[in-house]
Amino acid sequence: MQTQRSIRLPARLDGSQLPFVAAIAGSLVVAYALVGPQQFSNFLTIGAVYALIALGYTMVYGIIELINFAHGDVFMVGSFVALWILSGPLGLHGSIDNPALLAVVLVGLFLVTMLILGALGIFIERFAYRPLRNAPRLAPLITAIGVSFILQNIMQAFFGPSPVNSPQIFTLNARFDVAGASIGYLNVFIVAVAVALMIALQLFVGRTRLGRAMRSTAQDREAAELMGVDINLTIAFTFFIGSALAGAAGIVWVLYFGYAVFNQGFYAGLFAFTAAVLGGIGNTTGAALGGFVIGFLQVAAAQYGYSRWSEVAIFGVLVLVLVFRPTGLLGQQLGERA
Amino acid sequence: MQSRRIGAIAVAAVVVAGACSSAATPAPSAAPAGSAAPASAAPAGSAATGSKYVTIGVDLPLSGGEFANGDPTKKGIQLAVDQANANGGIAGYTIKLSVKDDAVNGVHNPQQGATNVQTLVADPTVIGIVGPFNSNVGAAEIPITNQAGLLQCSPANTNPGLTKPQYGALDIRKAFPNRINYIRVATTDDIQGLAGAQFAYNDLGKRRAYIVDDTETYGKGLADVFEAQFKKLGGTVVKHDGAPSSTTDYTPLLTAVQSKNPDVVYFGGVTATGGGLLRKQMAQVGMGSLAFGGGDGIVDGPGGVEGSFITVAGAAAANSFGTIAATHDIPNAQAFSQAYQKAYGAAPGAYSASAYACTQVILQALQAVAATATSPTALREAVRAYATDPTHKFNTQLGTISFDQNGDTSQHIISFYKTDMTAAGGKGDWVFVRQQDFGQSSQ
Repeated sequence: MQTQRSIRLPARLDGSQLPFVAAIAGSLVVAYALVGPQQFSNFLTIGAVYALIALGYTMVYGIIELINFAHGDVFMVGSFVALWILSGPLGLHGSIDNPALLAVVLVGLFLVTMLILGALGIFIERFAYRPLRNAPRLAPLITAIGVSFILQNIMQAFFGPSPVNSPQIFTLNARFDVAGASIGYLNVFIVAVAVALMIALQLFVGRTRLGRAMRSTAQDREAAELMGVDINLTIAFTFFIGSALAGAAGIVWVLYFGYAVFNQGFYAGLFAFTAAVLGGIGNTTGAALGGFVIGFLQVAAAQYGYSRWSEVAIFGVLVLVLVFRPTGLLGQQLGERA
Repeated sequence: MQSRRIGAIAVAAVVVAGACSSAATPAPSAAPAGSAAPASAAPAGSAATGSKYVTIGVDLPLSGGEFANGDPTKKGIQLAVDQANANGGIAGYTIKLSVKDDAVNGVHNPQQGATNVQTLVADPTVIGIVGPFNSNVGAAEIPITNQAGLLQCSPANTNPGLTKPQYGALDIRKAFPNRINYIRVATTDDIQGLAGAQFAYNDLGKRRAYIVDDTETYGKGLADVFEAQFKKLGGTVVKHDGAPSSTTDYTPLLTAVQSKNPDVVYFGGVTATGGGLLRKQMAQVGMGSLAFGGGDGIVDGPGGVEGSFITVAGAAAANSFGTIAATHDIPNAQAFSQAYQKAYGAAPGAYSASAYACTQVILQALQAVAATATSPTALREAVRAYATDPTHKFNTQLGTISFDQNGDTSQHIISFYKTDMTAAGGKGDWVFVRQQDFGQSSQ
């Protein structure tokens, strides 16, 4: 068994998954037809951000059944860390036109920011949630809200209460024309990064020893402990991954929108949480799907002149899904199959 | 257990740090104002009056992205009160300030505003309130102050629905429709929207407008007037979208409208509800060269100031215009600007003089009625009755003004501004273009 742990394509890519893959492909075609190529790129971009944040919500819920309300603010901290790295130590102002240099900066930016954010996630879990792990369910929930305020206020103390502009290292004029739309390389990059991280996450959870520990802890914490799984390590690592993904979302946000503000995690976190519930909280594939669904609803509302109603549309769809599928689009299933 | 205790201490330390930082934002002025009151009462009041004081309530958005609006406005009030106290107070009274912040999570919040005025109403020494800044906050506060009969003067509210019966104001002052308690020194959006439309159509020669509002009382009201007036002039409105203040991504909206070829984008709202981000993202989708306009919600100070339109939009702020519902050429502008500069080391904001004028109105009313009132309740009512009487004229920083039967100012002047990115030492600023008196006829 040990030798088979190298990264391979999921063995489960068999006939049973064909309907699901076909449904996703079909939805994408319908989405494309509804909003056109330009908006299609817009929705994939913002959807990728929501999806990356939603993954953290869903993983933490899956493993300790905690709705980590501070997660949106972890994402916000990610934006500020990225912004600070770019404008502080790197001292950048404008765009980087040399592709090789840009690649180096981006790789470094993602590595450093995601490591810092992962460490922050471990820190929060260690000092805010672990002491309450066996407390009534409400206690860690309220603590999460407290952590959210703490993160907001710390960032407000450092960066002020207003939006802070960041250097936009991706030149916005780098675009290419396809199907009558002008697509930014940045949009392609963001979607590619998000999809790559999601695939990596799936492989990690499904194929590694720690991933297996995570799944077993999610299924039955005590049984897993009896079987020799280090629960504290596993839960800490779940927070590490979830927060690192939120950090990636924060970087993407700064690259795309060019600013960070201390309260950006509130609405982004709310939408991402909705995405996680929509897809089936505890289910990583569902969280990613939910993120893209919400991105699409926002873009479609804007396209058809109903932006005034976009929040109504998002939460209306959430209500409908929960009425007919109380466990979300794909069901809660981190335990069995991440 | 040992490690658990350390954890708890660490969390507690972070909580304290967080609490301190959040308090630090609005506090700097509030603390001196509050703590100085008992101390300064002694020198201000004469021996006969002792420590007599009255309080002026202040309700403004003072944290988050609204700081750029609220802070210079609050300093206008502070300046007027400090000057009055330095001159020995008003009719034997020392003036205290009670400053409330109505911003929650960085954005003005009607419920917070309502809570704030309830606190102020309950304080018997409060004779009047200056504020709020935002119209939807006003709509939540006026029912409370109207019920209580407490004078409220807004330096910046412009939504007509707050005062004018034909826009539904009687629903807002339901308790005592004929006992006016809310006055304002800014003119209304039915005039501001008209002015914006005329400026875009006549001065800039724009014909195809795309309108976005923030779906709030002020923003949507202003945008609706702009739309009606722009069409009346002969212009085309290619689309009118509403984007709630939770919107962070405006690119889908802009993408959807690009094919309709607008030549001007008009925003109804304030910087904190999306004005700056919308302008910034216009540049990202290749619409950065289009003219951009808005009301007084985006004319909020130079670049570099926390949260101002020019700071948020950055270089994209170029080629923008905006209106202010107050006179730019105030009497004795030089003296006011110098006094403000001396006290705070910065130039006054767009509504500093208006806030100063509101405070003057309350203080002049106090001066006139102080001798007749015997109890705090009587004093509060006498100040309200004096200030809202249409026959009384007030000599203020904005000129001589009075308030009509609905509490609206007799001044109907709109000032026009454009962004100049070379101003303010290269940081960019709003520069005055001209001002126009829309008089009574336009109502």
